[in-house]
Amino acid sequence: MGCETLRTNKLTPYLFLLPGCIILGAFIFYPMLQAIWMSFTDYNMVTDPSFVKLDNYKDLFQDDLFWKTLKNTLIYLIGVVPALVVLPIFLAVLVNQKLKGIGFFRSAYYIPVVTSLVVAGIAWDWVYKENGLLNYVLDLLNIISEPIPWLTQTQTALFAVMLVTVWKGLGYYMIIYLAGLQSIPESLYEAADIDGANWWQKMTRVTIPMLMPFVLIVTIMSSIAAMKVFEEIYIMTGGGPLHSSETLVFYIYTQAFDRLNMGYASAAGVILFLLTLVFSLINLKVMGKDNSE
Amino acid sequence: MKKKLGFLALLLVITMLVVSACGSKDEGKSKDSKNASGDEQIELEFWTMQLQPTFTDYINGIIKDFEGENPNIKIKWLDVPAADLSKKILSAVTTNTAPDVVNLNPTFASQLAELDALVNMDEAVSDEDKALYVKGAWEANNINGTTFAIPWYLSTSVTLNNKAIFEEAGLDPEKPATTYEEAAEYAKIIKEKTGKYGYFPSMDLSLVLQHMVMMGADLTNEDGTKAAFNSPEGLYAFEYFTKLYQDGLIPREALTGDQRSTIDMYQAGQVAFFDGSQFIVQVKENAPDLYANTIPSQAITGKSGKKTMSVQNVVVPKQTKHQEAAVKFALFLTNGKNQLEFSKLTPILPSNVEALADPYFTEAGDDAEPTDLVRIVSASQLDSAELLVPPMKNYDELRQAMYDAISASMLGEMTPQEALDQAEQEWNDILAK
Repeated sequence: MGCETLRTNKLTPYLFLLPGCIILGAFIFYPMLQAIWMSFTDYNMVTDPSFVKLDNYKDLFQDDLFWKTLKNTLIYLIGVVPALVVLPIFLAVLVNQKLKGIGFFRSAYYIPVVTSLVVAGIAWDWVYKENGLLNYVLDLLNIISEPIPWLTQTQTALFAVMLVTVWKGLGYYMIIYLAGLQSIPESLYEAADIDGANWWQKMTRVTIPMLMPFVLIVTIMSSIAAMKVFEEIYIMTGGGPLHSSETLVFYIYTQAFDRLNMGYASAAGVILFLLTLVFSLINLKVMGKDNSE
Repeated sequence: MKKKLGFLALLLVITMLVVSACGSKDEGKSKDSKNASGDEQIELEFWTMQLQPTFTDYINGIIKDFEGENPNIKIKWLDVPAADLSKKILSAVTTNTAPDVVNLNPTFASQLAELDALVNMDEAVSDEDKALYVKGAWEANNINGTTFAIPWYLSTSVTLNNKAIFEEAGLDPEKPATTYEEAAEYAKIIKEKTGKYGYFPSMDLSLVLQHMVMMGADLTNEDGTKAAFNSPEGLYAFEYFTKLYQDGLIPREALTGDQRSTIDMYQAGQVAFFDGSQFIVQVKENAPDLYANTIPSQAITGKSGKKTMSVQNVVVPKQTKHQEAAVKFALFLTNGKNQLEFSKLTPILPSNVEALADPYFTEAGDDAEPTDLVRIVSASQLDSAELLVPPMKNYDELRQAMYDAISASMLGEMTPQEALDQAEQEWNDILAK
């Protein structure tokens, strides 16, 4: 059977696709379809699921906590994505210089990316403590008179966690931009030099337009990452105080694994999926248009 | 086009082959082999909660003894980190691969029992065997009238006091706080004199509910259908913690941190006293100087005079194919001899009446260390200690509702009374489900 298939060249590519298809099918598409189906059921993981039509969605839309976590997720998105799109460009330009020992700086900026988030979360927890590093430094500089309870008051907890996400993501997106920068032909800068462009003009007229495809990638990737944020919150605040730092994925997690409301959690998961999809499409549309101009 | 379809069919066949291969392999594994003598050879899977590496030899010793007495049963032991256990057992039950004997805490065990996933021990264990266990511990594992677990080891909460901070604040370390009022008073003095925190009450997990019960509030009416904590006692609990928190007399981590943060701060010498007998071995290992300075004392309690008892259980999931052998092993694991031996390794109390009668739990030698004192104080409180928060349906939602309410009060977003009203409303909704 195998020999015959191999003889027909047209089928050969599919054979190469087969392992990928099986893995994707078994671990991505099958669970995804199952989650969609589960979102219409009442399922506690032990007894058999029972079909409840749209009840989970109805309950979800009436749950204040769901709206609150959705709002938190959007705040997260608005706060984190611009920082993660813009800041790494400057970092990348910085480490793209031909300096001695630049390799050291590149790795230094990249270290947060490879650091385990659990370790980083605990370390940042210490930084944010009332008698922690941040309050100590601010006190030293006479900026504050009373220590600020960064992670333990509702006003600051979410933002404190956002900073960790940005800190951790900078290096990763920097590498993407760095690859982009190195793909810009030197001749463009030479031409700009001949035209008498200064540093800023070269940045805005050459570097950034040439980086646009990379900006698009980074925007989509960082938005998806921001929508799915979980570990930082799980480790640093547990969603508290008073759900002020609870995001949608954390909400899904507690519903699914603490309360065993699998069907309900799946419904929230489907909403998250749709939101992510919409955001990615908007990104593609808007940024893609810019790009073609 | 035809070729394409043919190819897709091929793909499907291959996928199915792969999948079915996985399935049949599993099936082969779960079948029991028969040994030469014709007796059925049984393998039991046994899960414990975070006992390795400290108790590896102890558990292996029990398994060896048991296998010696029951040559046709083999025990396969797996130790699971505490934080993963509930998720692991859940996925095992979902995929129909549940272990045969599992060590669980009552809260999670009751969640599984609610779903009818655990063997009813009232039926599986003879009255004679039942009588061997401390009554309160046996009854602690009851939901909807069925007993879903065999009690294993117990502890009652004991306060650990840092002698050095007491002395620094001019307080007598021989007179530690035993009531909530004293705790608040000491916290104030210690904060003023030393700048350190006196008291660190954790609000993690079921602790908010436990504090309320100790302060004299009833959580629900007798048949568990309505909230009963919107009372002067319940209000007292809310006001008590709100005041301590807003006056800065307890660390802000009391609200957001888990129990780990209590032991971190105590070990760092930043907290004078807290309820943490379960951490005594950790203090001994991590902070030997502080350990020498630690005085264990009777648990802090309120109007009810009750103290917290924690129970660790052994359950048998209904999915087991060898219920009889599994229950047999669970009883062996928790018998008097084995439990006594266990409590000599760490300050826990046996749930076995016979083992508990040993002088080891009543008499402190001249060279008694803090761990010995923890054990003796803990045993002396057994009469007044009980499982303060009984297993309840939709427990996690109830717990979260109360935690959210007291958080709102402590953070100043609501008055204690408003928060209590909100919690009552939510509890009534959840209890009516």
